[in-house]
Amino acid sequence: MNPWFMAWRMLRREWRSGEIRIVLLALIVATAGLVSVTALGDRLDQAFEKQGSALIAADLVVRLPNPPPDNFIARAGRRRLAHTLATNFRSVVLYEDQTLLTDVKAVRPGYPLRGELSVSVGAGGSRTVSGPPRRGEVWVDTQLLARLGTTVGRGVKLGRKAFTIAGVITLEPDRGGMGFALAPRVMMNEADLEATGLIAPGSHVHYRWMLAGATREVGAMRQWLQEHGVAEGELEDVRNARPRFRVALDRGARFLSLAALVSVLLSGIAISRATQYYARRHWDHAAIMRCLGATQSEIARIYLGQLVVLSLVGGLLGAGLGYVAQQALVWILPAMVGVDLPLPSYKPLLVGLSASLLAVLGFGLPAVARLRDVPAMRVFRRDIGAVPPRVRVLYGVAALVITGFVFWLADEAELALWILGGTAATLLLLALAAVTMIKALSRWRGGLGASWRFGVGSLVRRGSSTVAQTVALGIGVMGLLLLTVVRTELFNAWDDRLPPETPNHFLVNIQSNQVADLERFLERNGAGVARLTPLVRARLAAIDGRPVEPDDYEVGFARRMVERAANLSWLEVLPDDNKLVAGQWWEPGQWDKGLVSVEQDYAAALGLSIGDVLTYRVADRTFDVRVVNLREVSWDSFSPNFFLIVPPDLLDGFPQSHITSFHLPAERGDMIARLIDQFPNVTDIDIEAVLRQVMRLMDRVNWSLQFIFIFALLAGALVLIAAVQTTRAERRREIAVLRALGAQKRQLRLGLLSEFAALGVLSGLLGAVAAGLIGWGLAQFLFDIPYRWSAGLWVIGLLGGGAGIAVLGYLASRPDIEAPAWRLLRQSE
Amino acid sequence: MKVNERPIVRAEGLVKQVDGPSGPLTIVNDVSLQVFSSESVAIIGVSGSGKSTLLALLAGLDIATEGIVWLNGQCLDALDEDGRALIRARQVGFVFQSFQLLPGLSALENVLLPLELAGRDRADDRAREFLDDVGLLNRAGHYPSQLSGGEQQRVAIARAFAVEPSILFADEPTGNLDNETGGRVADLLFRLNREKGTTLILVTHDPALGGRCTRAMSISDGRLSEIEG
Repeated sequence: MNPWFMAWRMLRREWRSGEIRIVLLALIVATAGLVSVTALGDRLDQAFEKQGSALIAADLVVRLPNPPPDNFIARAGRRRLAHTLATNFRSVVLYEDQTLLTDVKAVRPGYPLRGELSVSVGAGGSRTVSGPPRRGEVWVDTQLLARLGTTVGRGVKLGRKAFTIAGVITLEPDRGGMGFALAPRVMMNEADLEATGLIAPGSHVHYRWMLAGATREVGAMRQWLQEHGVAEGELEDVRNARPRFRVALDRGARFLSLAALVSVLLSGIAISRATQYYARRHWDHAAIMRCLGATQSEIARIYLGQLVVLSLVGGLLGAGLGYVAQQALVWILPAMVGVDLPLPSYKPLLVGLSASLLAVLGFGLPAVARLRDVPAMRVFRRDIGAVPPRVRVLYGVAALVITGFVFWLADEAELALWILGGTAATLLLLALAAVTMIKALSRWRGGLGASWRFGVGSLVRRGSSTVAQTVALGIGVMGLLLLTVVRTELFNAWDDRLPPETPNHFLVNIQSNQVADLERFLERNGAGVARLTPLVRARLAAIDGRPVEPDDYEVGFARRMVERAANLSWLEVLPDDNKLVAGQWWEPGQWDKGLVSVEQDYAAALGLSIGDVLTYRVADRTFDVRVVNLREVSWDSFSPNFFLIVPPDLLDGFPQSHITSFHLPAERGDMIARLIDQFPNVTDIDIEAVLRQVMRLMDRVNWSLQFIFIFALLAGALVLIAAVQTTRAERRREIAVLRALGAQKRQLRLGLLSEFAALGVLSGLLGAVAAGLIGWGLAQFLFDIPYRWSAGLWVIGLLGGGAGIAVLGYLASRPDIEAPAWRLLRQSE
Repeated sequence: MKVNERPIVRAEGLVKQVDGPSGPLTIVNDVSLQVFSSESVAIIGVSGSGKSTLLALLAGLDIATEGIVWLNGQCLDALDEDGRALIRARQVGFVFQSFQLLPGLSALENVLLPLELAGRDRADDRAREFLDDVGLLNRAGHYPSQLSGGEQQRVAIARAFAVEPSILFADEPTGNLDNETGGRVADLLFRLNREKGTTLILVTHDPALGGRCTRAMSISDGRLSEIEG
C-alpha cells in the first residue's frame, strides 16, 4: 500500500462527507488574510516610500565630496535608475551695494526626481517646474527678496557672473531639514557654475547625487554603493532623512503587522480546533484501519498526507483569494489609496504558502499524531489512552515552530514577544478560569432549574472539552476585541497626536528683541499663541577635555553634528513629548549648574554617556556641561525639539535667538510674506508637506486596518464556529437520549442557550481582560502612545461575547433539537 | 479434535486484568484453546462474560496480562503492534456487532479499504465481486447512513471476506439486527465461510447462532469451557 496515495484517495472521498471543509475553510481564510495583508502591506510600504521620496526629491541621495565617479554612473545606468546631481555650497550674493550669505544649489535637468518644485513668477501664481532655471537666471526664496529688498526681474551677482532673478521658489521638496541656521536659497543652473568661478579645489562644496527607480533596483544600488566605499551615513533615504516621517512609517507598519499577526493567530487556533475535531472524528476510523491491518506508521502517513494535501490546497486557494481580494480592493477604492500602488513582490505568496503549511503542521500535527496511537481495541471499547509523551513533544515542537514564524512575520522582536506573551498568558488565564468555573458550577448547579441544570451540567460533564472550548472562545473574543475596540483606541490615540492645528511652520533665527513683536504679530494674524523657545548656538569643542574634530567621525550624522553648531535650549521641566531613558532631570537648585540633557540617538552617534563632560564654544567663550540624563524624543509631535537641553539659568549672558512653531491655515498663506517683510532676518521652514504626508500615511494605515479586519473577523468567527463544532457530536448524543426520555424541545433549547451563554460570558469577560491588558502593553511599551481603558471593551466583550456565543452555539445545535429523535439516535450510534 | 493437525489459533493460559474502581478486575481468566483450519467455533456467553475481550486477545487487538496466543503458528507476543497489524492485514478478517463501517466512505469504498491497505491487485474488481456476493452491488455507491442495519452488516461481511483471510473473527454479528435480518446475515456468513474455507471464530450471546458452528464453547466470568455437542 502506498500511504500517500491512500491519503489522497481518502481525502477525496472524505471531502464529500464535509468534515474537512471547516479545516480547509480555516486554512483558506488564514492564508487569504495573511497573503492579502502582507501583499497590501508590501504595496503600501512601497507606496509610502515613494511618497516619502518626495520629501528628499529622490529615492536615494548619496552625499559625496566630489561628483560621482564614472563607475557609479555606469552602475546606476545598468540598474535603470534615473539620476541627477545637486551641487550645494554657501556663497555671498551681491545686490547693488548689499551682500547676503546664501545657500546656493546648482541643479541639472531631471531635478527633482521625486516630488514637486514650484516657482512663482510675478502675479501668475505658482507653477510646477522641472529641471533647472534657464542659463543666466536664478530662482530665490522670499527671504532673499525681503532681506535684500529686491524683486523678481532684478539682477544679482554670484561670484564673477551676473544673474536675473526669474522666480520665487514656493515649494522645494528637499529643503525641509531642521538645521536652524538656514540661509536664504539661491537655485541656479549647473551649466553656469564654471562661469561664477566659485568652485575651486578646496572649496567647501557638498554634492548630493540623487537616484530614483524601482524599489528593488534602488536597494541593490544602495548595497553596491556601500560595497564600493560609500559609508552608510552618507546614504540618505526617507527613513533616515526625515525622522518624523520615519516614526509614522514605522508605527503604521507596526499596526499592519499587529493586525496580520492577530489574524494569523486566530486562524491558527481555528485550524487547531478544526484539525482536533477532524482527528477526534477519525479515532474510530483509525481503530478500524488498525483492525484491518494498517500499521501505525501507515496511519500516521495517511493522515499526515491528508494534512499536507489540505495545506497545499488551502494554501494555494487562500493565496489566490488573498491576491484577488487585495487587488479588488485597490481597484474598487482607488480614491482611498490615492496613489498608484506598485505590484506586490513575491514575498506575500511565500509567506502565505509557508504559513499554511506551518499552520496545518504546527496546529494540526499534534491532533493527528494521536490518531497514530489510537488502539485497535477502540472498536470494542470506546475509550482512548492518555496523551502519549511523543504528542507532548510534538506540541512543544509546534509551539516552537509557531513562535519562530511569528518572529519572522513580525519583523520585530518586541511586537512578536508582546503578541506571543499576551496569547500565552491569555491561554493560561483562560484555562485556569475555565477549571475554576467548572468546579464552582458543579457545586452550585443543584439550585438551578431543570433546563439550566442540564445546560450547566453539560459544561461540567465535558470537563476537558469545556476547558478547551473556553480557551478557544476566549482567544477568539480576545483577538476580535483587540482588532476592533483596542485597535480603534490605539489608532485614535495616535491620530490625536496630530490634531488639525498641528504646527506646520517653524520660525528660526528670531532675535531676543523681536520676541514681543513677533508674538503680537502671530496673535494678530490668527496663528494662535505660539511658545517661543530660546536657544544658543554653540560648537562642540571637546569631550572629557579631549578636543573634537569632524575627522574623528566617519559616520555622516556624527560628523555633521560636530561640523556645525549645535542648538542648546534650556528648560525647567522635561517636555511632555520627551521621555527620560537614563539619569535624572535637574532640581530647581541646579538651574545654574553645568549640566546637559542629551537626546539618545545624538548620544549614541557621538559615543556619549552619563557623566561625560562636554565643552562648547560660543564665539570666543567656552563652557563645560556634564551629561546628566539621556532622553527619547517623540519626533512625530511636530513641536520644536532639541538634541541638547541645559538648565534654565546656565546660559544667561550668551547671545541667543529663539525659535517657534505654529499652525498656519492654508487660506492665510500670504501671512508668511508679510512676516518675512516685517522680520527679514527670521527664516520660515514650511513643514506642511511632511505633515500632509504623515497624515495621508495615517489615513492609509487606518484604511488598510479596516480591510485586514474583515479577514480577522472571519478568522475569529471561524474560531468560534470550530469551537462550537468540536462538541457537537457529543451534544447530539445527549440531545438524542434526552429527547427519547421525553425532554421538551423548549427545555432543550433553554438548556443549550444557558450552556452557551455561560461559556460566552466567561470567555467574553476573560477575552476583554486579555485584550485590555495586551492593548495597554502595546500602547505603553511599543506604540508609545497613551492608552485609555474603555468601558466599551467590557460591555462588548461581556454582552457581545455572551450573546454572540449563545446565539452561535444555539444555531449550530438547532438542527439537532428540531430533527426527529429516532434519526438523532441512529446518527449518534 | 484433530490431534495430528497444527492449530491455526492457539491460546495458552490467557489472563486479562484491568484496573477497576475497587482494585484489579479479571475479565479473562486462564483461558486455553485450540482452533483448527476450516473449523467454525462459537464462544457463547452473556453480556459481561468476557467474550469480546477474549476475541480481541485472540485477534491480537489487545495484549493479555498473562498467557500466549499463536496465529497460524506465529506467536503474537513476539511481535510488536505493527507486526500484529501485518498479520491482521494478511490473514484476519473482522465482523463487528456495530458494523464499524466508515461513514464517509461508500459501500464499495468500505470494501475497498482493506484491499488497498493490503496492497492487493485489481482491488476495485475484487471489491465489486464481493459486494455482488452479498447481493449489494446495486448499492455500491450508497453511504452507510443510507443503508439499513442488515445491509450495513452485509457490506461489513463483504469487507471481511474481501482480503480472503484464513481466520474470520465475528463479534455478535447479528446482535444489532432483528431475528429475520439476523438470520439472513448469519446464513450469508456461514455460506461464505464454507465456500472460502475460512476458519470462523464467533462470539455471541445467542445459543441458536452458536449452535450453527461446528464447535461451541461457553464463557462465564472469564472462564472458558467446551460445550459437548
